[in-house]
Amino acid sequence: MATVTGVQTRVAVADRRRPGPDLFLFVAFLALSALGILMVFTASRPLLEVQGLDPTSLMQRQIVFAAVGLVGFVVASLIDYREYRPLVPFFYGASLVLLVAVFAAEPVNGARRWISLGPFQLQPAEFAKLAVILTLASVLAAVQDDEQGMPWKRLLVSLAVVAVPAALIFRQPDLGTMLVFGFLAIIMLFGAGTSLRQFAVLAGAGLVGGWTVLKMELLKSYQVERLTSFLDPTSDPLRAGYNRIQSELAIGSGQLVGKGLFQGSQTELSFVPAQPTDFIFTAVGEQLGFIGGALVLLAYAVLIWRLLRIAVNARDRLGMLIVVGVASLLAFHTFVNIGMTIGIMPVTGLPLPFMSAGGSAFITMSVALGIAHSVWLRRSPVPGRSYSG
Amino acid sequence: MRRGWRLAGLGGLFLAMFVVLFLRLWFVQVAAGEEYAVRANDLTVASSPTLAPRGQIRDRDGTLLATSRFAPAVIVDRNQIPSGQEDHLKQRLSSLLGMSPLEIESAFDAPTTRVKIKEIDAETAYFVLEHQRDYPGVFIELVPIRVYPEGAVASHVIGHIGRPDQADLDERPDLDPNATIGKAGVERSYDDLLQGNPGVVAYRVNARGEILDELREIPATQGDTLWLTIDLETQQVVEQALERVISLANEEKRAADEYHNLAKRATAVVLDVDDGSVVAMASYPDFDPGEFVGGLSRSQFSALNEQAAFTNLAIQGDFPPASTFKAVTYVTAMEENLFPRDATADTPDGRVHCDGSLEFGFDDGSRQVYPDWYYPDELGWLNIHEAFEQSCNIYFYGVALRIWQDFNLSRQEDILQEWARQLGYGELLGIDLPFEHTGTVPDRELFDELAKRGVVREEGWQGGDLMNVAIGQGNVLATPLQVAASYAAIANGGTLWKPRVVQEVRDRLGQVVATNLPEAIREIDLSASTVAAFRRDLHRVTAQGTAAVAFSDFGEGWGEVGGKTGTAQNGANRDNTAWFAGVAPVSDPRYAVVVVVEEGGSGGRIAAPAGRYILQYLMGGKPTGLVAGARTD
Repeated sequence: MATVTGVQTRVAVADRRRPGPDLFLFVAFLALSALGILMVFTASRPLLEVQGLDPTSLMQRQIVFAAVGLVGFVVASLIDYREYRPLVPFFYGASLVLLVAVFAAEPVNGARRWISLGPFQLQPAEFAKLAVILTLASVLAAVQDDEQGMPWKRLLVSLAVVAVPAALIFRQPDLGTMLVFGFLAIIMLFGAGTSLRQFAVLAGAGLVGGWTVLKMELLKSYQVERLTSFLDPTSDPLRAGYNRIQSELAIGSGQLVGKGLFQGSQTELSFVPAQPTDFIFTAVGEQLGFIGGALVLLAYAVLIWRLLRIAVNARDRLGMLIVVGVASLLAFHTFVNIGMTIGIMPVTGLPLPFMSAGGSAFITMSVALGIAHSVWLRRSPVPGRSYSG
Repeated sequence: MRRGWRLAGLGGLFLAMFVVLFLRLWFVQVAAGEEYAVRANDLTVASSPTLAPRGQIRDRDGTLLATSRFAPAVIVDRNQIPSGQEDHLKQRLSSLLGMSPLEIESAFDAPTTRVKIKEIDAETAYFVLEHQRDYPGVFIELVPIRVYPEGAVASHVIGHIGRPDQADLDERPDLDPNATIGKAGVERSYDDLLQGNPGVVAYRVNARGEILDELREIPATQGDTLWLTIDLETQQVVEQALERVISLANEEKRAADEYHNLAKRATAVVLDVDDGSVVAMASYPDFDPGEFVGGLSRSQFSALNEQAAFTNLAIQGDFPPASTFKAVTYVTAMEENLFPRDATADTPDGRVHCDGSLEFGFDDGSRQVYPDWYYPDELGWLNIHEAFEQSCNIYFYGVALRIWQDFNLSRQEDILQEWARQLGYGELLGIDLPFEHTGTVPDRELFDELAKRGVVREEGWQGGDLMNVAIGQGNVLATPLQVAASYAAIANGGTLWKPRVVQEVRDRLGQVVATNLPEAIREIDLSASTVAAFRRDLHRVTAQGTAAVAFSDFGEGWGEVGGKTGTAQNGANRDNTAWFAGVAPVSDPRYAVVVVVEEGGSGGRIAAPAGRYILQYLMGGKPTGLVAGARTD
């Protein structure tokens, strides 16, 4: 017992003196970002060539985003996540302001999701995801009695914290991001100790609410269509189901080992719409085959595994909840996005973390990962024992 | 330690999500990957048919009458027109191609997505290529164009091409409504051989349908070449004859201010007596089949249609054959020994007094007088040869009366009509041209049928009707081709040949792929003496009979030509239709010639000179100008 304690103490002392970064996490992050850049190039090149533009232009932008994201990751790793706590109301408020500001922008494809900043389009919903994670974590972080469980008041405050931006995003409209907020809220509430009885009550209320939404026709018809078309993609092949059929076809045709880089006919011939962004995984599936796709899944699994490990080792409830939020954010995005490309999820427009072309999502995810990493760097000195009990 | 199990639970959830993705990915890429790969490949390959050039049409010596060349055309792929720009594009094409919005609409209105709008010249083609951005979805392609080097010559035999109409589509359900098919003439009757096989070009395309590269091409093969029986030079002579005979007929009418019954239509056919091949076949007015190639405008079409320019009168004109039909009565009388009862002898030499009218009593005791409506004059006593020469109606009435009195209500009462049918009247001869008419050979059966419908008098068939048949009037209708075929059959000794305008079909390499061998419809049992007498008597007509004036300055070969005139009564206010049916050379017949001038007037005066013009050429001479002949029956 004494020797064991001695070893543990020595490790703990060493950790506390010089906390090491999580190399698995970092390597998985870098690998996905690098592959993402390559895939963005293969998927964007043909269309850019047709339009007579620089075929590398979209890739160049993605490299810039990746660089900014990497810096964001490192900076966020270095900042003590506990420093954010007093700033949380500001983050939350700022994200709400940006979400409102979106309504002043010109709609793109019928949706107002972007704020134009010179050559870049800011997507406030992405930043709002991080703000909501931080806000929820700080609301739920307060130490609570194991016997009493989650106080109802805190539960309702948390729901309100999610509901306000979710309602704004619903107006954009951006169904996918709304679902992200729902998933985040459920997972973080669960992680924070909400009892199953409380979930049952919430589920009941949710059912009544959902029924009301359908009854009162609050969803736009195309939103309902998108949600239902994935059940039968052939029902409307040229509209809602088209993307899905095309991407499934592209991925399926990659077979076990893929067609090789720049050899994917569907990718090369621009058959998959929005391929560099929402449908980037089709480029992986077609060109690199099942082996490539499985490796990408593995990389995301590694990220989630390392994040859960950080959550287990987090110094306090705040850190644990932030990391749980980040993990659920990444897991949900990954599952819904890849699931969409292989036909088991509806088309929602959630980007694939670190791979889809686009700055807002990349930088937000990188910073979120950096904050989680910051929790790792400031983990509890004794593994297996948390401060929060 | 709540954190522990809760985080383990989350781990389980996330793991489950990844397992689901992994399994689905396995299914899509490995288990079902091959199927997806096949479907994906199909998506990227598009093919478009290439039009085959239509086969050529040549005359009997090989002179080109129809061929195909390649020319640029505007093709629109409606799939590639950006949404909302179609109307704008139509406006642009309308002004570029000089087509009315209506014409553009109808060109766009096709079941296929790729539509040929119009053939264009090279300059317009370059303009479109240089301004491709202004014409999204518009392509310039080389398409085969029909060309008719000789213009309107033999237009009714050649026919024309066009889009299929509803009737064509009903008849040939596999037809592409956008296709070009033969609509008339041999272009129609040999359409399947002329069509050729369209080729296919397979392309790799991207999602927007833009062509990336060509994968393979199955080239289109040109259709087969038709070698006609038509001789171009004879055809041209015949067409000149028709043009001239129309002006000849109208000269006097204009002078007399008789504009209401100007001759407007005429037709002529030259048959090879020995095998039924059509050496020339023409109708006036004609049309230039080349005008159909780019699509005829509605006004152009109706102008031509009003003149019946598209009607091949030689096979579609139902005319009363008038005195040319006396050849049938002549043969019947000679072969059946049915000479007029009041003739001086019951032989070919028996004479009848052609004094201008025939008076006779019917079975019911009534008497009737039949005037020779054209010749009220005294012609004297004529036997069958002389009656044929002078076209004496009285004699041929007498033959009909003999039949009526001998066979009335017996099986043999329609012996004259039977002979007519044997000689090809009242039936399709089966020429290899579309829309041939049957004509009419009336008999008791037909009249009883018509009487029931109230078309003719309720008593039905009567003796007078048979008498009208005997001189080719009344309800006898025949096409000029039928008259020519029957004259050929009698002159050649009794073989009724199936007429044909195509002698053989060769593929594009010149190999003969099909031959239209001469085909006898039937052998008619004619005695040699009747045949010889018929040939002799035809010459008598041109030498001293009704056509003598017209043939007076025939020149070389005069002794070898023969023919028969005919003048058919039309309804009130309409001038008579002039006929001439001739054979040459009479000693060893080679050609049968028929000329019909609708509302031309007298056969001997108008049609016979045109027949003479054609026969002069056929006998190796040089046709001389048309001068009116004698006003005859």
